[in-house]
Amino acid sequence: MSAMSERTVSILKEVGNPNKARIIAHLSKHRGENAEDLGKHLGYPLPTVYKYLRELEAARVVRSEVRDKIRLYYPSDFKLEVSPTSLMEAFEQQSFLNLYRIRFGDDGIKRLNKLAEKVSAGKMTYRQAASILGMTYYEFVSLLDEIGATQ
Amino acid sequence: MSKRLVVDSSILIVLSRRNTLEEYLQRRKKEGYQVLIPKAIARELIDEPEKLARNIRAKSPVLADKILQSVEAINEAIEDNLIKLETVNYRKYSKLIDNVRKHLSQLEAKPQHAIKKGDPELIALAVQLYEKSREKVYVSTEDKALLRTFKSFRDRVEYEISEGL
Repeated sequence: MSAMSERTVSILKEVGNPNKARIIAHLSKHRGENAEDLGKHLGYPLPTVYKYLRELEAARVVRSEVRDKIRLYYPSDFKLEVSPTSLMEAFEQQSFLNLYRIRFGDDGIKRLNKLAEKVSAGKMTYRQAASILGMTYYEFVSLLDEIGATQ
Repeated sequence: MSKRLVVDSSILIVLSRRNTLEEYLQRRKKEGYQVLIPKAIARELIDEPEKLARNIRAKSPVLADKILQSVEAINEAIEDNLIKLETVNYRKYSKLIDNVRKHLSQLEAKPQHAIKKGDPELIALAVQLYEKSREKVYVSTEDKALLRTFKSFRDRVEYEISEGL
């Protein structure tokens, strides 16, 4: 995926969840609110608010800063343009996953998923998994990122 | 004195791929951290991806460019001193590095020589930094198995897990 279309997909994923979309909407009116206040105003449990905020920050639709030891949240500027062409580009342009699939087929993907499960369970390090797959650490981390196995 | 934060490549790679590396590093700087990485990790972030980009350029030019953009972001962060490279003293910490290798090889039943340098160097760097000043070292990684390995060496280093991505 190109950087832009990858971003389109990650924004789509986040705003597709109405609860997360409400957080973005709320923050655009109440900029710089902390997680606790957000939870109170929107009626979400605090652990859920933290989870949503982590995901929204990772997708770069929300940003945060620490002031007086309190993390405050702000909406990031973004504009979503979706068309059949942009979706086609998002899913068909070059990615590590596509390259990996071309090289190793569906069996390779199964193997990758198994190793991703193992690293996620802490049974082996990322470097060990990369070494087993015979790839660089950079490739392995990028693949994890593309299959959504990173935060 | 800045709080010393040893960051694993996984964090830096994902951030550079998402174009949020500088934002993250500036935030950490504001929070009083100095981000440090051992040289083995710099190779994973710069030398290996550059070689990878060269190898795939003919078939995947878009991806090759994307890799090089990520390498460029890391290089700029090092030049701007937002990431500081540290050399691990192999002479002093060879026994520790061997022990980390041994621990990791048991984890996945792999021969010790097959263990990549990044994991042992990351732990050795944290120990080296701690022994230098006897002040807590902060560690940031997405890698749970590496954190478990860190735990096995907690008698050598006082450390705290810092937020990841």
